[in-house]
Amino acid sequence: MRRAMLGLLGAFSLSFAEPLAEPAQLWDKMYYIWLAISVVIYLVVFIPGAYFLVKYRYKKGSNEEAQHVHENPMLEVLWTIIPVIIVIYLATQSFAFYKTQRTAPEGAFEIKVTGFMWGWSFEYPNGKQVYAFFNMFEDPETKSYLPFDKIPDMAKAYIPAGVPIKVLLTSQDVIHSFYVHPAKVTEDAVPGRITHMWFKINQPGEYWVFCREYCGTKHSKMAAVLKVVPKEEFEKWYGEAIDNKQVSLN
Amino acid sequence: MAVVGVHKPWFGASVKEWIFTTDHKKIGVMYGVTSLVFFLIAGISALGIRLELFQPGLQYVDEDHYNQLLTLHGVLMQFWWAVGIWGSFGNFLLPLMIGARDVAFPRLNALSYWLFFSASVMALLTLLPGSQIRMMWTGYPPFSLNDNAGPVAFYALIIHLLGASSLASAINLVVTNLSMRAPGISLKKMNLFLHSFLAMNVIQILGVPALAGAVTMLLLDKYFHTAFFDPARGGDPVLYQNLFWFYSHPVVYVMILPAFGLISEMIATFSRREIFGRTSMIFAIWGIAILGFMVWIHHMFTSGVPDWIRILFSYTTVLIGVPTGIKIFNWIGTLYKGSIRFTTPMLYTLSAIFMFLIGGLTGIPLGLPAFDIGIHDSHFVVAHFHYVLGMALTLAVFGGFHYWFPKLTGKMYSEFWGKVGLVLIMIGSNIFYFLQFIVGLEGMPRRYADYPAIESWIVLHQLQTFGAFILAIGVAIAILNLILSAKFGKKAPDNPWESPSLEWLIPSPPPPHNFDKIPHMPADWDPYNYEWLKKHKGNY
Repeated sequence: MRRAMLGLLGAFSLSFAEPLAEPAQLWDKMYYIWLAISVVIYLVVFIPGAYFLVKYRYKKGSNEEAQHVHENPMLEVLWTIIPVIIVIYLATQSFAFYKTQRTAPEGAFEIKVTGFMWGWSFEYPNGKQVYAFFNMFEDPETKSYLPFDKIPDMAKAYIPAGVPIKVLLTSQDVIHSFYVHPAKVTEDAVPGRITHMWFKINQPGEYWVFCREYCGTKHSKMAAVLKVVPKEEFEKWYGEAIDNKQVSLN
Repeated sequence: MAVVGVHKPWFGASVKEWIFTTDHKKIGVMYGVTSLVFFLIAGISALGIRLELFQPGLQYVDEDHYNQLLTLHGVLMQFWWAVGIWGSFGNFLLPLMIGARDVAFPRLNALSYWLFFSASVMALLTLLPGSQIRMMWTGYPPFSLNDNAGPVAFYALIIHLLGASSLASAINLVVTNLSMRAPGISLKKMNLFLHSFLAMNVIQILGVPALAGAVTMLLLDKYFHTAFFDPARGGDPVLYQNLFWFYSHPVVYVMILPAFGLISEMIATFSRREIFGRTSMIFAIWGIAILGFMVWIHHMFTSGVPDWIRILFSYTTVLIGVPTGIKIFNWIGTLYKGSIRFTTPMLYTLSAIFMFLIGGLTGIPLGLPAFDIGIHDSHFVVAHFHYVLGMALTLAVFGGFHYWFPKLTGKMYSEFWGKVGLVLIMIGSNIFYFLQFIVGLEGMPRRYADYPAIESWIVLHQLQTFGAFILAIGVAIAILNLILSAKFGKKAPDNPWESPSLEWLIPSPPPPHNFDKIPHMPADWDPYNYEWLKKHKGNY
């Protein structure tokens, strides 16, 4: 039954050749399903409501008093059962999508990410480290965000395009949260635990990561940039043994 | 219910009388004034936030001050406005609606208010340099234990004072409701507002201790070197989240259930009809109250708790939509075959219902991990709770202010300015909070002082700020209307809305002792039996 429903949804969903990033396409589907149901529910309430407001407004001489209306237990049962079915469906649909959103595909490339006040460090499987300190994202005079082309390349985490990435997360101090903007996934970085998430970005480009758990002064600047490049370019960068930790907070 | 003797109006009392009063009506007014003042302070801090977010970059305040403003906004709005305002309606109305002269424990009632007042003073003290708190209203450790967050002692003490006030009040009002109803006022016949108020207080009794425990553990960790939340010594920061949300989810039903109660009262009066599906409405209130304790993990879907727990709680979370929906359907049903009058309170009530519909519908996806994974801690969440609290609750409360204004003051507000205020509030709020959904869907995180120069975000933020200022003007007009009408308004009849609800059957403003004799309500009386009122007009 669930497969049939998913198949039906597949027929209606907008299908591009390949989504920009995964598992964002599942988020999109969940969003559109919920949106469609909500708009219908809103209209089902609003239209009769507006109609009653007009039809039963006080009119001197013709509608001065309310009429007696009997209770309608059938209606009460109906508008209990139907919403239960709708919400259980939504929770189940979410369950189905969530399994994929939370399970990294086989052979995912693992990167360990540590959050701290205020920045992210990325540790690649071969030991290569990238440090994204908040001050690399911030204009020293105006304190505003720098555009991508002004952010130093050494602060950017290179990611191979089209390869699933599994992120293992933790924190050195307080709770942060690693939000991968194009993939529409976030998971908290908690001290004392290792949490996980996965994503895959198919199109090369530069994408934001934002901190999504309040962590103090520079919470709004604790960003990172994922520089998604074709596999060959990634291999080249990956082989270079540059560790930018020497460039500390100036 | 003829009044014997002469009484002086309540607002003629001396300062000493106000400070030492145990009269529920005066205590209700004090709660109301305190809540409203803090609503305005929190509103001003919101305007500061909106000014700063108008453009990317930091133009007016640095991040630390922004974070302080945001913490202040959250704490004040939630505890003083969304919860605290019920100290005013509840205290003022409960004895009047049940035919009592006061609450069960009047001196305890006064203590409740003065504890609330002490918390208010403490909150204002956090504005002083060195005392500023920047841990947001949620106060998560380990950050709240960090010096950057400000003194945890203030946060914990404020919450303890509020908690003590709430618990004392809740016990007092539950006992009053259950044991002091006048003959003829059965639980079945009781005003729907009182049903929701009873449920609200039960939630408080069951839930406040959890929050008290959580902030006490923060105090112990910070000042007594315990390790509840320190992973280096075997603790777990997520433990706080569990304790915190165990109360802080049910508290949102503490906030909204009495607002639903107000909506029921007003929609019945202005449709001239009993609420449709009255029994269902009562079941729905308790359904919401009970289910409300079973959903808290939806605030922690990305916190690192096991996936299976997230799935389980997503089922319980979405089920709360059902009793809530039942209430909305029954309100629409109340309009059916009614004789609808579009007074200011009725317009506020209708607005509250339709704004709650949007807010509630956007709560559902937040309960779905597959959706939350993308918009957790984004402005989508902020927009959701501003629709249900910033709009639905505030609209219901303002409607209630207008509705019981003649009862409290004996005067009538200006209908024209009442409607102007509402129109501006609705236009401003909808521009503001609808666009807030959009910027959240586009990925903008919450609690951000600044953001990158993404075109669409900039436009959305500028329009939101514009909406916020229109909203502020609407609020100002609405409040000014009430204040000026209290002074200069036309004298109002005792029962301008012709409601059979017991508080309307005594003079406006009520005499200090409420009822000359404890009323014995006849069998055919009902707070929504408009025919009864017609039959007994002038003779009750």
